[in-house]
Amino acid sequence: MTNPSAIFIIVPCFNEARVIRDTINVLLERGYNVIVVDDSSADNTREKLKGLPVHYIRHEVNLGQGAALQTGLAFALEKGAGWIVTFDADGQHDVNDIPRMMEVMEKNGAGIVFGSRFIEGGSANLTSSRKIILRTARLINYFASGILLTDANNGLRLITREAALKMQITENRSTHSAQIQDLIRRNQIVFAECPVHISYTDYSRSKGIRNIASIRILYELILFKIFR
Amino acid sequence: MSPIQIILISGVVFITLYLYQRLRSNLIDAILIFLFCGGAVFFIVFPDATTAIAQRVGVKRGVNLVFYVTILFLFFLILKLYSRIRKLEKKFTELVRDKSVEKAEFLEKK
Repeated sequence: MTNPSAIFIIVPCFNEARVIRDTINVLLERGYNVIVVDDSSADNTREKLKGLPVHYIRHEVNLGQGAALQTGLAFALEKGAGWIVTFDADGQHDVNDIPRMMEVMEKNGAGIVFGSRFIEGGSANLTSSRKIILRTARLINYFASGILLTDANNGLRLITREAALKMQITENRSTHSAQIQDLIRRNQIVFAECPVHISYTDYSRSKGIRNIASIRILYELILFKIFR
Repeated sequence: MSPIQIILISGVVFITLYLYQRLRSNLIDAILIFLFCGGAVFFIVFPDATTAIAQRVGVKRGVNLVFYVTILFLFFLILKLYSRIRKLEKKFTELVRDKSVEKAEFLEKK
């Protein structure tokens, strides 16, 4: 098994002070390196993390989740990360999925492994409206990037150092998921999918992207296609 | 001269003078600005001149031709502005990122 200390986990967050410490503690228990990218939260996120062995980076202005991920990627590479994981701050991901993703990566010789709640073995307690939107989103991301994933908007990904070096996320907001797919196609990075468990709580539901926001994301995606 | 012509001409003259005193950088710019102004005033005073041009390209009325050209021009302008905004945003993001990485801290006390 891979030594967890070679794995850097990027946790982008924006106003997640209520849950951030719990999310991070679980990761630290497993011996992972953690990079918290605080996208200019207005709450006391930094206070909540005090004393924990985590790298804390703060954007002075709110730039969006894509920008926070790119900041984390750049920092992790600078720190010599062998593998990089992207992990949502709201506690929806399961830390036990990371070693499973490692296995999938080794088995497939992949440069990037996407978490999926929709392939066999994966799970999520989703509302039916959200399910419809995610199914549509995966098709839209396919048209935008040329790669079809079963779960295009999953925040859990595992990336090798080599693949991360080839990626430069410039889509600052929610369209970064489509851009990551676009980047792996352009750079011919081998990818695989791994079933993961998503547990939505009332908290993460209240914090997550609202269904209606998908319309704005679609608009930004069209602009991304035109102006890339 | 009808009132609308006076309104339009004073508008064009005002914009021209404003532009001129803001960016009187070199002679060519100034000449271009005044040429545009002269053209605009000409077509305002002799609106039938646009109709003559319009009929040559297959449009019935001069006003319609001006309308079509304006839409094209404005659309072009929006695209230019948008790509400018994207470039600015990219630079801005890099600045914020570099600064944040520079100030990165390890929160556990040694």
